Amino acid sequence: MRNPLFRPRALVAAGTAAMLALGAAACGDSGESDADITFWHIQNEDPMKSTWQAMADEWSEESGSTVEVSAILNEDFKARMSTQTQAGDLPGLYQTWGGGVLAEQVEAGLVRDVSGLPCLDKVNPIALEAYTIDGKLYAVPYDQGVVGFWYNKDLFAQAGITAPPATWDEFITDVQLLKDAGVTPIALGGGDKWPIHYYWTYLVMRLAGLDGLQAGADAGNFSDPAFVQAGQLLADLAAMEPFQEGFESAPYDKTDGEAAVMGEGLAAMELMGQWAPQAQRDNSGTDGPGDALGFFPFPAVEGGPGTVTEFLGGGGGFAASAEAPDEVEDFMCYLLEEENQARVVKDGNMSTVAANPEAVVPEPNAEQQMVIDAMASATATQLYLDQAYPPAIGSTVNDASQGLILGELTPEEFVAMVNEAWAAEQ
Amino acid sequence: MSSVNSKPPAPAVRIDDSQASSKPAGAGGAPRAKRRGRRPGAATLTVFIAPALVLFVLFVLFPVLFAAYTAFFRWNGLGGLPTDFVGLENFKTLIGDEVFLGDMWRIGLITVLSIAVQLPLAFGLAMLLHQNFPGRTAFRLLFFVPYILTEAVTAVLFSLIFSPRRGFADSLLAGLGFDDRIGWLSDRGLVVFVLFGILTWKFFGFHMILYLAGRQNIPEELYEAAKVDGATGGQLFRYITVPLMGPTVRITVFLSVIGTVQLFDLVYVLTKGGPFHASETLAITMYEQGFVRNQIGYASALSIAMFLVSLVFALIYQRYVLGRDLQGSLTNGGRA
Repeated sequence: MRNPLFRPRALVAAGTAAMLALGAAACGDSGESDADITFWHIQNEDPMKSTWQAMADEWSEESGSTVEVSAILNEDFKARMSTQTQAGDLPGLYQTWGGGVLAEQVEAGLVRDVSGLPCLDKVNPIALEAYTIDGKLYAVPYDQGVVGFWYNKDLFAQAGITAPPATWDEFITDVQLLKDAGVTPIALGGGDKWPIHYYWTYLVMRLAGLDGLQAGADAGNFSDPAFVQAGQLLADLAAMEPFQEGFESAPYDKTDGEAAVMGEGLAAMELMGQWAPQAQRDNSGTDGPGDALGFFPFPAVEGGPGTVTEFLGGGGGFAASAEAPDEVEDFMCYLLEEENQARVVKDGNMSTVAANPEAVVPEPNAEQQMVIDAMASATATQLYLDQAYPPAIGSTVNDASQGLILGELTPEEFVAMVNEAWAAEQ
Repeated sequence: MSSVNSKPPAPAVRIDDSQASSKPAGAGGAPRAKRRGRRPGAATLTVFIAPALVLFVLFVLFPVLFAAYTAFFRWNGLGGLPTDFVGLENFKTLIGDEVFLGDMWRIGLITVLSIAVQLPLAFGLAMLLHQNFPGRTAFRLLFFVPYILTEAVTAVLFSLIFSPRRGFADSLLAGLGFDDRIGWLSDRGLVVFVLFGILTWKFFGFHMILYLAGRQNIPEELYEAAKVDGATGGQLFRYITVPLMGPTVRITVFLSVIGTVQLFDLVYVLTKGGPFHASETLAITMYEQGFVRNQIGYASALSIAMFLVSLVFALIYQRYVLGRDLQGSLTNGGRA
């Protein structure tokens, strides 16, 4: 008996079945690991991905403990870590940037105190600062560098600029010169928000000084006029429309993002950390600006106490779960052996954290040399605010920075928004 | 259609009638009595219901109640149960939160656009695809394909099309002689409409299939009878198709609204809700607060708000709109 309902029902059923099948195929995460140590890092591309794997295998061989390595894309890693953290179940050894996020995990008793590691003399003490909370060390670094302007010397020359700007006024003049020459002055991944917060943070560091920024953070109050003034300078810069087309939704990485724009030589500069040259090549699929790439520190702002030798910076490190077996300390020290540090610097194009850089990077390339020089000139560093502060504050700073350059927030509203977030946190 | 002619349709209606009497949803007293007679023992019930009930309580009921509980605390989700009780503070923050209000506004906007544009489009296509013409199955399949793609894949696809640099959309316009770039995803006024366009592309096929099914449910003899009485094509559509498609239309509107309230994956992958919240949805705000900012208490309050929005809408809609379908009419008197 043929029911007229049959056919459309079958159609819908088939569609639903196909959907469920696709949905099921989309989730593939398996359960617990049998390995002694699970190791989560974010270098999900070769050669670095293989290097971590190789080190884990070698140490496994030596020690007899097993390591299961997971390479996870940066943004996905953050998403997975937040759920792992809330479940109180951290991986044995995992990527961290230190600061407020690590502090929250420490406060919840989830992180192993590694102050007693026997191999810390191999590391530059500056590189440990971000992972030190209340005098105790909770992670070991593998990369440490600074944020500054990476610029394309050819494009600067095209606009008739002979030397990188040393002051904010010169910087603004150069931006105008570049615009007049038909060059996009600045590449910006505005959709990701965090690249914007570097500008605001640096302006605060120059206008209020590191002490002023620290005092604001300690008090949980950014009402000092310097914070508003920093916002005003950034808003003025944005009003010049110095960014590439579509920056409002552009990511930092991916093929249409900030790094790719720089890599293809379509913008004159970007304010970014030590990983920028590598990201420019990776995301644009080109060799990047090559020899034309230069670096200059964020300019000084007239009248502000901050100097150009004070850097915004940070890097990457590994923290261990409180529940990881004691062997994890052994593994951390294995990663810090000079020979292994050298592999990380070479394969990952990282900036060295070694106490003795010459031993690890005897012949740095031009990019590494620029970061090493900047680090050597640094009189003080400040960790990126979205890592240094608790996540609620850091996200608000990022969010407000985006609102500011889009003209949705005034500098005063910016400060009010962050102050409100501080108030809610206390 | 001709096949229906060869077999008298009347029996089909009668078949439906006989099915109705054995369906548990039947409203009459007789079927109920019949069921009571067959009621299984308590032991059987327990054995069969318990596993599902345990899972339901564990993974649905408990998390929902726990979320409701945490909405009254300030809590970052770390280190044991929440302790910092703040009463209705989270909800007070919520109603003054511009992002939340923006989310509500966008839900309204997308809902109105869906009802005004997306559903009529799907309806029209369904009517066309109901006709008999060569390649009809291929078209039905083609229009349904976007719905089968996962939302994340759709978002990646459109992020390439609307990429600010050499995106397909811009290249196409340039090829047609329009040189001005359009900030598809970066213009805060435009992005929500681009988003709506993508949603339409993705979901019109689903609604179309429902309409097609609804249309095929209308007995052909009604049209034949009307034609015998001299009805024109327009009159057939106005007085038979439209009223008898009513229940299907009302259900698709319902699904469309609920889908809009819960929108997440597609938007998150495409724009992360940006630029500056211009395309943010309730679910994205909830995710950002809960998993990026570690403000689980506030995120729970958001989830409660989301639940209430859905619940209130569902109750009102069921009472005042779907109610008609439950009272019985020409189309469903025998079935519902």
